[in-house]
Amino acid sequence: MNTAGLGLGQSKQNQQLSRSQLQVHLLQLALTSAISLLLMLKDFTSAYSAFIGGLLYIIPAAWFSLRVLAKGQLRSPKQILANVYTSEVGKVLLAIALFSLTFAWVSPLNGFALFTTYILLQLSGWYLQLKMNNRFQKL
Amino acid sequence: MAELLFIAVALLLGLSALAGALGVSLLGGKFLEGAARQPELVPLLRSQFFIVVGLVDAVPMIGVGMALYMLFAG
Repeated sequence: MNTAGLGLGQSKQNQQLSRSQLQVHLLQLALTSAISLLLMLKDFTSAYSAFIGGLLYIIPAAWFSLRVLAKGQLRSPKQILANVYTSEVGKVLLAIALFSLTFAWVSPLNGFALFTTYILLQLSGWYLQLKMNNRFQKL
Repeated sequence: MAELLFIAVALLLGLSALAGALGVSLLGGKFLEGAARQPELVPLLRSQFFIVVGLVDAVPMIGVGMALYMLFAG
């Protein structure tokens, strides 16, 4: 498939996407900090567990975004697909490694606070993506 | 009891992997289909593909986290 010369809008798209992804991750970091600060009123273990839960989501997601968006100059669909697939595998492996390290090394840990924050950030990711990319609403 | 725990963890991890793989591969197939049909839309399709891949793997990732928690806490 010849797609040479079709990437004129690609760098603009890439810039917009990078900006929106950065905003999403910063908002999620702010949300994590807010939850941790609120839980600090309850107890310290819940607070740091919630913060770790947030980081467990943000670090692999940010790594995935960085890896995909850093190669924004890719033109052919095959290259783009390969890049997204390898980034996705890396994201899952990074998440598994971080979860394993957390459960092996951090003690005591409040599992409920950790997973609540983690799931909340997943949901916030869905919501923010839908809000920031209003193109989805036309689909 | 430990055997049951390992089976549960294996099922959680395996089904999460299967779900994630199915979702992402279907998306990839549709992306290639769209790119072949309208090559001028590749930049737009790429953005949408990137965003939706991030959304698709959310539930499998939660499953992976739960499985590892069960494994280490149990």
